[in-house]
Amino acid sequence: MNEKPHLDEEALAELQDVMEDEFSVLIQTYLADSRTRIHGLHDALAAADSDQLAKAAHSFKGSCFNIGAPRLGAFCFELEKLGKNEQLEKAPEVLEAIEEEFQDVARRLENFNE
Amino acid sequence: MNILIAEDNDSDRMILATLIRRLGHHVQEASDGLEAVSSFVKFQPDLVLLDALMPRMDGMEAARRIKALGGVRFIPLIFLTSLSNATEQARCLDAGGDDFLVKPYNRVILEAKINAFNRMRSLHQAVSEQRDHIRRQNERMLEEQRAARRVFDNVAHTGCLNAPNIRYHASPLSVFNGDVLFASRRPGGGTLLFMGDFTGHGLPAAIGAMPIAEVFYGMAAKGFGAADILREINRKLCSILPTGMFCCGVLLEADSKQSAIRVWNGGLPDGWLVRKNGDRVAIPSRHLPLGVLPPDRFVASMDILDALSGDRVVVMTDGFPESRDDQGAPFGETGVRRVLAGLQPEEHPFDALMEHLQRFTGQPAPADDITLCSLEVVTGSVAPEIFEKTPASSLSGPGNWHCVYEIRERTLADFNPLPLLLHICMEVPGLRRKSGEIYTLLSELYNNALEHGVLALSSEWKSSAKGFSLYYQERKRRLSETEGHYIRFTLDHESRPDAGRLRIRCEDSGQGFDAESQGARAPAGTGPGNGYAGRGLEILKRMTQELNIYGAGNCVEIVYDWEFPNHGLQSS
Amino acid sequence: MPIETRLSEDGQTLVIQVQGRFDFSTHQAFRDAYEHCDPSVKSYVIDLSGTTYLDSSALGMLLLLRDHAGGDSASVVIENCNADVRRILSISNFEQLFSIC
Repeated sequence: MNEKPHLDEEALAELQDVMEDEFSVLIQTYLADSRTRIHGLHDALAAADSDQLAKAAHSFKGSCFNIGAPRLGAFCFELEKLGKNEQLEKAPEVLEAIEEEFQDVARRLENFNE
Repeated sequence: MNILIAEDNDSDRMILATLIRRLGHHVQEASDGLEAVSSFVKFQPDLVLLDALMPRMDGMEAARRIKALGGVRFIPLIFLTSLSNATEQARCLDAGGDDFLVKPYNRVILEAKINAFNRMRSLHQAVSEQRDHIRRQNERMLEEQRAARRVFDNVAHTGCLNAPNIRYHASPLSVFNGDVLFASRRPGGGTLLFMGDFTGHGLPAAIGAMPIAEVFYGMAAKGFGAADILREINRKLCSILPTGMFCCGVLLEADSKQSAIRVWNGGLPDGWLVRKNGDRVAIPSRHLPLGVLPPDRFVASMDILDALSGDRVVVMTDGFPESRDDQGAPFGETGVRRVLAGLQPEEHPFDALMEHLQRFTGQPAPADDITLCSLEVVTGSVAPEIFEKTPASSLSGPGNWHCVYEIRERTLADFNPLPLLLHICMEVPGLRRKSGEIYTLLSELYNNALEHGVLALSSEWKSSAKGFSLYYQERKRRLSETEGHYIRFTLDHESRPDAGRLRIRCEDSGQGFDAESQGARAPAGTGPGNGYAGRGLEILKRMTQELNIYGAGNCVEIVYDWEFPNHGLQSS
Repeated sequence: MPIETRLSEDGQTLVIQVQGRFDFSTHQAFRDAYEHCDPSVKSYVIDLSGTTYLDSSALGMLLLLRDHAGGDSASVVIENCNADVRRILSISNFEQLFSIC
């Protein structure tokens, strides 16, 4: 379904270079933010609000790409498309994939940090 | 630069802010649209980076408000978006965005865009400053022009324009349109009127007016005739105006004693003589405008029109016929002709023309470019002393002197000695107030000597209005045959305590005339039509202490006494 | 282009054509037309067939050309005037200075 890597090492290295001492703060911020966003996705789905789902997925997608989590970002994009096309039946499956992928990414990022 | 970032995603915002700070700029952060707008007001950034989708107020709406708040300043606005399709991106730009930046943020592109927009912003600012500078310069220039215009007005529309027989409309203070209108009484009676239209607009057009005004009024006061004034105006304009600039003009000379008007039109639209009986005579442009031909080629010859008391002459610059209605059609010379053809018996042509033009253009107030003037012929006795421009001199002058001035043969045709003779008399301070009377005396003596003495013209010809034109034609012809003739003036002045006695003797080489029989034919007190010479002698008798006629009648001498007014007595 | 020029075959006559309004805006182009022409040009023809309107600054430009071309000895012919243009030239009595056809 998704051939992209979990982490874009090159992008992360660049971020490290840019953020310097702030890098770990950035990672923590991202992780905290992402958890909130995933809650938001659940809420939207529960409310069957496809528009809200699309918007939230779109937003989350952006930050995933920025941080260098391309596979997670791609999942978000799929969810966004489903929301746009009002095809909510397939949504729970993709949301689950997102949850799983996020766990993976979180672990890898924390390792990267050390 | 000061840069405002509005991005709701915390981690994205962190990344962007850090990237930009590392480029050396100051960063202000906002996390939604509402905060973005208020931060914009408080922080006054030079550049704004705005996420397209945000809670509370989305990016598009925030963009619109921020652009509106920016006003005339150029604040570049860059949308942050992961929107990938073209329609969405176009919407960003329509909402006021100047560009967009795609996530993930690329450091290199971000820096390049910020720099590019900074350059654009600087350029915009430079242009705005230049525009403001130009606007200020322009206002200063307009102010200077207004001041110059006030000076110009003291010069351009003056003289005896407020005389009862003159009606005029000239452009108001707001516009320099190069039109001038001068009017002056002549010493000895009559009016000179000059209307001019300088090429171009504004200052260059107006500048020519001042020296011309000096020439006109100076020469008119000294008693110079219209042709001399025209020649001098032309000479002056040739010397001061660059090639390609000139003055279209009309000069009218109305003599209050004679039933005639002399006219010269060089480049202005047709003027019109509107007789009291309704007849109309056109006064078309027959000459090149003033300032074109060099003095040796300039033609100052004037046309003579018979004119009786109550007849009116109307002259205008091209602004009048060129006035347009709301369709853009001009009033035209045909319009003028139509109005004059349809005049009612008691209707004044000036009023009729102004009224019709106003109706035609539909404008309540006349346009700025209109210069229209009418002069009514007023015949009768010598006009009262009204001088606007006689310079007052405080120098003392010669009290006892004697001078003989003789002109001969061809000079009789080419030269008018009156201004010079008047000038000599005006050197006497006590006579300066009397320039009109002195001029009249000199002029009566001279014309008598020239026309009846040397040229042997009969004054009976002038008893009819038509006769005047014939008279002048014959006069012109006989002036070319003056071999052996002369006119000699002998002036003598004797000063007395606060008074003086001026003696003027005028001799001519003619056959003389029978003063007795002339006097008998024209008893004192009778009106015009009794022969010019008779009337002339009456005037001389009335104005002087003594009048003596010697020889065969070709030598006339007058004695003129004067006193300073403090002593109560008026002279003569 | 408001001003167009062409040279006669023998190179001695310069024809200057003015299109549209002959007024202050044509000033520079008109001057350039005759100031930078071939020195062998001895006479000038101003073709006003396309000229709709002439104002006093155009009259001034004609005087400048005449001056440049030798003043009294200049050979300047103005041709193909429409009625309005003809009238303006006639009021100013310019036929006393130019040949007008």
